[in-house]
Amino acid sequence: MLEIDGLDCCYGKVNALRAVSLTVNQGELVTLIGANGAGKTTTLKAISGLLPPVGGSIHFEGEDITQASAKRILALGIAHCPEGRRVFPYMTVQENLEMGCYLRTDRSALTEDMERIFTRFPVLAERRSQMAGTLSGGEQQMLAIGRALMSRPKLVLFDEPSLGLAPNLVERTFDIIMEIRAQGTTVLMVEQNAYAALEMCDRSYLLESGQVALQGTGQDLLDDPHVREAYLGG
Amino acid sequence: MDQLLQHLLNTLILGGTYALLGIGLTLIFGIMKVVNFTHGELYAFGAYMMFFFAMVLGLDFFATLVIAVILGVALGALIEITLLRPLRGANIDTTMLVMIGAWIVMQNTEQLVWSGIAKSINTPFPVEPLVLGPVSVSWVRVFVFVVAVLLILGAQLLIHRTKLGKAMRATFQDRDTAALMGVNINFVYTATFALGSGLAAAAGALLGPVFVVTPTMGNLAALKAFAIVILGGLGNIKGATIGGFILAFVEEMGAGYVSSGYRDAMGFLLIIIVLLFKPTGLFARAERIG
Repeated sequence: MLEIDGLDCCYGKVNALRAVSLTVNQGELVTLIGANGAGKTTTLKAISGLLPPVGGSIHFEGEDITQASAKRILALGIAHCPEGRRVFPYMTVQENLEMGCYLRTDRSALTEDMERIFTRFPVLAERRSQMAGTLSGGEQQMLAIGRALMSRPKLVLFDEPSLGLAPNLVERTFDIIMEIRAQGTTVLMVEQNAYAALEMCDRSYLLESGQVALQGTGQDLLDDPHVREAYLGG
Repeated sequence: MDQLLQHLLNTLILGGTYALLGIGLTLIFGIMKVVNFTHGELYAFGAYMMFFFAMVLGLDFFATLVIAVILGVALGALIEITLLRPLRGANIDTTMLVMIGAWIVMQNTEQLVWSGIAKSINTPFPVEPLVLGPVSVSWVRVFVFVVAVLLILGAQLLIHRTKLGKAMRATFQDRDTAALMGVNINFVYTATFALGSGLAAAAGALLGPVFVVTPTMGNLAALKAFAIVILGGLGNIKGATIGGFILAFVEEMGAGYVSSGYRDAMGFLLIIIVLLFKPTGLFARAERIG
């Protein structure tokens, strides 16, 4: 479904990704793990068109999206739920969700989808006309996930969905992501919580200094001595 | 008492155009974070377009007004695309210097094209004022007020109720995330600058026929626009509207009861006081749209 081949990305003169190759197949839950600055977020930004790569290629369902605009990539069916939630703080919950389907024009289906989000996250329904900036961290995460789903994506990119959340909300967030996958949406997730990321995924890639250091099934990586040593606390 | 009523009526009329100027600038300065020195020149541009189409070409007054606003929008879009787009992400000082340059070029062009002599614009309204009991007001000013209020409401609706308005707010709250939602960021920047410019041109086109049109008329207008934006709180449309009326009120009362020579000073005195005691402006941050 998603094929990345030899991807190079730079921030100015700093090389952030070197020859990263990875694939995500239809229906999979794939995770990217690694330390801070390993290039996980950069990879997601390159996929969603926020950071045009300097080398390599990205294909989605056969189409070359390497240099495509963020708008085009979203229209093809890739939604990106960014790190730190990034809800629009001075817009209401409902307006945030509406932004999630900015490109869609099928109005009746939209209302239906919004109701579905409200059913899944009742707290958002209660606060639909409240400014998103006034929500708690957990509520903002639900809103960010809901917003990403509003575009009816085929593939959702989650960037550090557990960051800054209370432990019980971390669990809940991972449950939601697994539900999303169970309903047929493919997921590519970046997560620093390596143990959880490896437990829940089908396959995983370990990034180190902008390169893929290891790849395999979640179990493969959980069993790998290097991963155990460096990322799982021995 | 009659004198007070007259002053209040004048406040209302003047406040409407001040609010227009303020809303236009709060979009550009408060939300886009561009210190827009050309705002006053777009105001003057609106007034000169009014003069050109109505007085030189002899077009209908009302049609001219529409043309002047459309040209103001177009000129704003042109400035954004040619000067600001290449500077996206540049230091605020750089942008500011470029806008100061644009301001000087625009003002001198006006002087070159129209000469320094003040122009006046005739209106189709009756010369006899509208008398309402103890107070009176000229018809053209009533017209100016009505159009200003309609434009203010229109701008509010555009920003809070339309898809473009939503895209504008999202873009200036979080540009990258708005791009992830599929918003065309470049278009939103251009549209916002063009809208702000169009509102300034509208204020100039409305006030041109009330006063006279001169190449330096934009200077004071721009200063007042900045004052209104600061008064209302950056990026706050309601604040800019109310700020416009407050500035008009202070000027009108100061001119009426203190000294008319200090009319313009009154407003700036108010700004100094507000900045001393409430540097974020009179209205809450929660009201911000970007």
